[in-house]
Amino acid sequence: MAKIEFINVGHSYDLSAKNPVYALEPFSLSWENGGRYALLGPSGCGKTTMLNIMSGLVTPSEGNVFFNDQNITSVKTQQRNIAQVFQFPVIYNTMSVYDNLAFPLKCRNFNESQIRTKVNEVAEILNLSSFLDMGAKGLTADQKQLISLGRGLVREDVAAILMDEPLTVIDPDLKFKLRRKLKEINSKYKTTLIYVTHDQNEAMTFAEKIIVMDSGQIVQSGAPQELFERPSTSFVAYFIGTPAMNIYRCSIDNNELVLGRCKLKIDKNLDQIKSEQLKVGIRSEFIELSDKPQENSILVKIKTNEDFGNYILLTCEFDDFEIKVKIKRDQSISSETPYLILPKSRLCLYENEKLIN
Amino acid sequence: MKLVTDNLTFKPEKEYFLNKVSLEFEAGKLYTLLGRTLSGKTSLLKTIAGLQPIDTGNIIFEEKDFSSIPVWKRNVAMVYQQFINYPHLNVFDNIAFPLKQRKMKTSDIENEVSVAIHKVGLLGFEKRKIQELSGGQQQRVALARSLVKKAKILLLDEPLVNLDYKLREDLRNEFKNIITSDLSANSILLYASTDPLEAMQLNGDIIVLDEGEILQSGTAKDVFENPTNIKVSEITNDPAMNILKGSIDSNKIILNENVQFKIPKHVKNIQAGTYHFGIRASDMILDDKGFDFNIDIAEISGSETFLHLHQNVLNIVLLIEEVRNFNENDKVKINFNLEKLYVFDGKGDLLFSPFKMN
Amino acid sequence: MRTFYLTLKYLIITLWSLFVIAPFLWALSTSFKDFNSVTGGATYIPWLQFEPSLEGWKVLVRSPAKGGVDIIEPYFNSIFVTCTASLISVILGTLAAYALSRFKFKAGFIKNNDITFFFISQRIMPPIVLSIPFFLMLGFLGLLDNLFGLILVYIVLLMPIAVWIMVDFFNKVPQEIDETALIDGCNPYQAFFKVVVPNSIPGLIVAGLFCIIFGWIDFFFAFILTFTEVQLLPVKIVALNSSVTPWWSLSASALVSVAPLIVVAFIVERYLSKGNLSGALK
Repeated sequence: MAKIEFINVGHSYDLSAKNPVYALEPFSLSWENGGRYALLGPSGCGKTTMLNIMSGLVTPSEGNVFFNDQNITSVKTQQRNIAQVFQFPVIYNTMSVYDNLAFPLKCRNFNESQIRTKVNEVAEILNLSSFLDMGAKGLTADQKQLISLGRGLVREDVAAILMDEPLTVIDPDLKFKLRRKLKEINSKYKTTLIYVTHDQNEAMTFAEKIIVMDSGQIVQSGAPQELFERPSTSFVAYFIGTPAMNIYRCSIDNNELVLGRCKLKIDKNLDQIKSEQLKVGIRSEFIELSDKPQENSILVKIKTNEDFGNYILLTCEFDDFEIKVKIKRDQSISSETPYLILPKSRLCLYENEKLIN
Repeated sequence: MKLVTDNLTFKPEKEYFLNKVSLEFEAGKLYTLLGRTLSGKTSLLKTIAGLQPIDTGNIIFEEKDFSSIPVWKRNVAMVYQQFINYPHLNVFDNIAFPLKQRKMKTSDIENEVSVAIHKVGLLGFEKRKIQELSGGQQQRVALARSLVKKAKILLLDEPLVNLDYKLREDLRNEFKNIITSDLSANSILLYASTDPLEAMQLNGDIIVLDEGEILQSGTAKDVFENPTNIKVSEITNDPAMNILKGSIDSNKIILNENVQFKIPKHVKNIQAGTYHFGIRASDMILDDKGFDFNIDIAEISGSETFLHLHQNVLNIVLLIEEVRNFNENDKVKINFNLEKLYVFDGKGDLLFSPFKMN
Repeated sequence: MRTFYLTLKYLIITLWSLFVIAPFLWALSTSFKDFNSVTGGATYIPWLQFEPSLEGWKVLVRSPAKGGVDIIEPYFNSIFVTCTASLISVILGTLAAYALSRFKFKAGFIKNNDITFFFISQRIMPPIVLSIPFFLMLGFLGLLDNLFGLILVYIVLLMPIAVWIMVDFFNKVPQEIDETALIDGCNPYQAFFKVVVPNSIPGLIVAGLFCIIFGWIDFFFAFILTFTEVQLLPVKIVALNSSVTPWWSLSASALVSVAPLIVVAFIVERYLSKGNLSGALK
């Protein structure tokens, strides 16, 4: 268990070039002991690089990494006391499931009874108890991934467990159960868990704090609710949430936002805003349906009605804009042209792609 | 124009890849094959394409025996989940390949390929090499190549599963529009997926597969609302439906000594005995006058909170439509929306569904 | 710090390059010497340290009647035999490799991997084991001391190399590409030639290269299976030797026999470095 700190860490694969391209722009971040973090971003954003710097597989071209205030930037991976789980199962084909899980402990000279207790505990959590004596080779992909995961969890003294998209090969319903198990393990053993993913659903359900990345930069970091309700850039607004936030170009007139032919009130003083690059956004979950016009209501026409089982997604049109609204399956829709109410407390205003607070 | 599979069985080693699969596909329709990995979806698609043999059974297409026709003479198209394109050809040649095989005229080929490229949104990419494209772009090429053939049977095997989550979402809408606009009275579309949300969005007929067998088939709405057994309810719901063991006695549903309620109206004339009761996570609510449950863990996902609860041996997942913070080992009071209760018998088959009069 | 590493890097590369080229330069300068220069102590640079002479080179083209060892015909024989055998080996080997990669064979407990290993095991065997059988078989067929007999033998020896390299290569080409070609209207043969082969060109080149190298340098079988009618280069060079070791002509012949391989290597390296090899499949 350790507090991990990155001070001005940045990484470029070719510093000697004239304009070096940074896989990871320099930044500073600290990771509290026992926390649950997610690194979220599209492919190529730098999240795997960050993970590899933490585990020691990559030495950053600039900056320092500290574990419990000790500078370990140049310390080799095996001495860092980190467990890493990869996207694809990494198992020892020739050993049994038990031996696979016991391997990290054997390498560190734990005695037999300690190993036995620990392996049984972890196997129990991952539903692998009945498989312990079987050879690891003949199992299915998700069982192999569970073993990979188990090997990472079996050492409770690690500074952190780093997971790089570990649930990709696993079926949706097992994913749900496993995420829950990971959280239980984190709350029981207080091991720091850092989870890399491009799936914002996974990040949101798993992490206490999400770090959203794009093109090597950290765009926003915070609790899931914060990221959801007040995304600090239009990229985060697009990336988080299913569906993405409804965002539109707008202008200001007389302290109101102008969107096509509609005027919207917002809880902010708009006099100070000079820029022309303005966008307004609202999540489909926060929009309400109504028969009558009210404050901040827009008359729309329903274009499509998609039934997703747990909810219904309406795609509506007004002027040239398309707006998506999430409603409950039971909710009755009285007409083809309802009013949509955009509560002013839920509107997010972006100036030059950045959120205005 | 119909595609009929009759009793297809394929068991190469110890397990059934396909187990007595009998289906009828009609032209102009989209069918979603829904099931877990290794449930037989890919096997079925490959068998229809002719790439996988069968032990017993027949495939009949347009009243002719399909199995006597070799792969290259069947009029099918397939998109794989791994991005499969011809690496030694550029985008244009990749898409033109099947047309060149058919010995079409060059001018016709150019037209058709341009239309396809336009449809999938790759204008300007004609001369690019495949290795230079991103995952999403590669899949668009694969899709364009499959569309350009105007095949009578279009097979898509989880084409979006290897893409980033957001990209998958974006492309899902696009792909759906592209393929449904292309779907004519002359083609049949089969789309394999593990994701129930994807299946619902595609809104075609759903065929639920598990271990090579067909568990249920019907419209998306029907399969969602009336799963024929517990297994189907697990495959078609994310998160899975809560299945609770209980009994019926003296006109009450008894889950344990604390949790009991009246039998809802749609459950008519039921005998006393043990049953499995099913209720979705979204069909339960927090209710001050409800039953006490202990919180195991609360998961926040965007605008929803999933509460994992237990009371003795009863384990439940509840969906709350807002973000709230809960502490572990707190107690909450919940209630069930009994109008949405499913009743399955001891074996797991559906007896009563809230959406159908049984 | 960076410049230090850079200079160190280039220094090591230069030293290593010199180490590699040195024998060739040495052979080159020796080839221009004659008896006197060779015995007079170690000398390197012609005109400066010794008087160059073309004797070593002339011997190679002079006919035996005039006391030379004419290597021109054996040279072309070697080229012909090596190229033909390599070509046929690569073709047959590739077809075999494709079958081993794509289809499942099973005869009792013998499976694909065993068959592949059987092919490779032919190269592990010491060649001398094959000497008598080949001699007898070619004699029976009347193909001793004959170009085509030699080609047959070389095909047997070189094909395993082609199989070995190509099986590995084909295994890396996903089978789904073959399947897509089938679905797009190709029959299996067209799928192979239009899709799989164009994607395996690097493998074919490597296989061809290995076959050419191993075929060209073979001394043993050329020695026992040819006498007077047909002579190959390695055997003929041995004939250069006499009581007084003619270092000059030996050096010249060494250079001459290595030259084709170097030319081939340059051509292939050009092709490889253009990046045509890597990233064939994502």
